[in-house]
Amino acid sequence: MLLNTIRTVNRAILPRSYSTVSPEKWDLFTAVCIERKPVITPALNELEKSYYKYLQDVEHERSFKSDFEVRMELDKKQAELIKQGTADADVVVKQTAQDFLDANNEQLNKFKFADRITEADKENNQTSLKRKLDKHLVLVTKQKFGDKSYYILPQSPRNGKLDKHLVLVTKQKFGDKSYYILPQSPRNDSETLRQAAERLLKDYCGNDLKAQICGNAPTGFYKYKYPHTVQEKSGSLGAKVFIYFARYRKGDVTKKGLDFKWLDRIELKKELHPNYHDSVSQFLVDEE
Amino acid sequence: MSLINLFSSFRLSFRSSVVCPLGSRSFYTDKYLPFWTTPCLLAEPLKKKKRIDPAIIKAREERRKKRLEKQIRRLEKNARQLKPIEECEIPLVLINEKKERQRQVGTINVEELEKRVLLEKKWALYKKEQHLKDLKMLDRIAYSQQKALDELRNVSEELYQEAIQIDFHLIPFESVGPVSTPAIENYDTPDGDYQDISKKWD
Repeated sequence: MLLNTIRTVNRAILPRSYSTVSPEKWDLFTAVCIERKPVITPALNELEKSYYKYLQDVEHERSFKSDFEVRMELDKKQAELIKQGTADADVVVKQTAQDFLDANNEQLNKFKFADRITEADKENNQTSLKRKLDKHLVLVTKQKFGDKSYYILPQSPRNGKLDKHLVLVTKQKFGDKSYYILPQSPRNDSETLRQAAERLLKDYCGNDLKAQICGNAPTGFYKYKYPHTVQEKSGSLGAKVFIYFARYRKGDVTKKGLDFKWLDRIELKKELHPNYHDSVSQFLVDEE
Repeated sequence: MSLINLFSSFRLSFRSSVVCPLGSRSFYTDKYLPFWTTPCLLAEPLKKKKRIDPAIIKAREERRKKRLEKQIRRLEKNARQLKPIEECEIPLVLINEKKERQRQVGTINVEELEKRVLLEKKWALYKKEQHLKDLKMLDRIAYSQQKALDELRNVSEELYQEAIQIDFHLIPFESVGPVSTPAIENYDTPDGDYQDISKKWD
C-alpha cells in the first residue's frame, strides 16, 4: 500500500520522459490516411430539391423582365402587325428573339457534359481515383497479419531503415510484415512521426502521388497486441499506430505490386476490421 | 503631541514684498526659503515694432484666402471623380421602364402560401440538425486527435513536443471544387478572342 503510493508520487514528480521506462514495450507505427475530397457536388435530397425549387420560384416572382423577355414580346407584337399587314417592311428584323433562343439551345444540346458516373463506377474499379466522384475516398492497402490479411491504412514503423530490414527478414521467415517489426527499437533515430509519415507516403505510393499531410500532430490512434509468440521474439507487447491525416492533391499510386483500394465510407466499414474501423472513422468527416 | 506640533509648523506663510523680492506671486509652506531667483535675468530689452502698411496686410490676407479656396476647389473636384460602382447603380433606362418590366404574377393562394411556410420551417429544422451534427463531428475529431496526442505523450515526450509544433506547410491553403459536373478529359478548348469592354477610370 505504502509502496504503491510512493510509486504514484514518484510518477507524478518525475518528468514524463523518465517515466517512459516501463516493462511494457510498444512498437511505434505511423499510418497515413489519404483522403480524396469529392470532386463533384453530391446529389440533392428530396427536401433540398424542393427548397431549391421554392427559392427559384420566389426569385422569379420578385424579378423584373429582362431585356431578352422584352425583346420577345416586342417581336410577338411585330409578328401580329405583319399578319395584319400594317407593319413597315423595313422594320422587319433579321433574327427574331425566338431564333436566337433556338440557336443557343441547339448549341447547348450539342455540348456534352462529362458524366457524373464514370467508367470506373460502372466497372466498380476500386483502385481508380475516378470512382465515386461525389464521395470522400480513403486509400487502404492490404497487409498480412499472420495468416490473415486485412485492408488497413498504409503504415510503417517509425524508423525507415528498420522497416526495410524487416521486410527482408519477414519475407524469408514468415512472409508477414507487421509481426516482426522493430526488434528492440533503438532510440537513436531522430525521425519524428511526421517525417515518418512523409517517408511512408513515398515508400507506399511512389513519387507520383502528392498529398498534403495536415499538421504535425497525429489525428488518430490505434493499438493492437501481437500474439504471444511474436511478443516473446520481438520483446514488445504490440504496436501503437499514430494515424496522420492527408489530403490527396494529385497523381496516382505508381508503386507496383501494391494491393490497394480507394474506398468510400460505407465500403470502408465493410473492408476494415471493426475495431480498426472504429478508430479510423473517429477522425473522418461524416458523409450522408 | 508631536503631531500637533507638526501641524502648527505647517501653515501657509505669505511674506510681504519687503522681505521677498518676488512679491506676492510666490507662496510657500515653510518658514524659510531655500532658493532665490533673480528676476532681472529673465528680463529682455523690448523689440522695436515694425510698422507695416495696412494695404500689404490686406493683400496678404487675400492671397491666403485664395490659396485655401483653390485647395478646397481641388478637393471637391477630386471627390466627384470617384470610380462609380456600376453594379450598384440602377441604370436610368430600367427606372423608366419599371412598369413595363413588371411581371404579371397573380396573388399566391393560401394553399401555396401554407406549403411554403411549412417548407421554410422544415428547412430550418433540417439545417439546425445538420449544424448540430457538424458540431458533434468536430468534437469527435478533436477528441480523436487529443487522444492520439495523449498516447504519444505517454510514449515519448520528445515526439510529443515535435508533434505539437505549428505546420507551416499548410499556410497558403488551396482548395478546388466540388463542381456539379466533372471536368471533361482531354477537352479541346475552342479558340477565341475576348474584348475587354469595361470602362477605364483614371
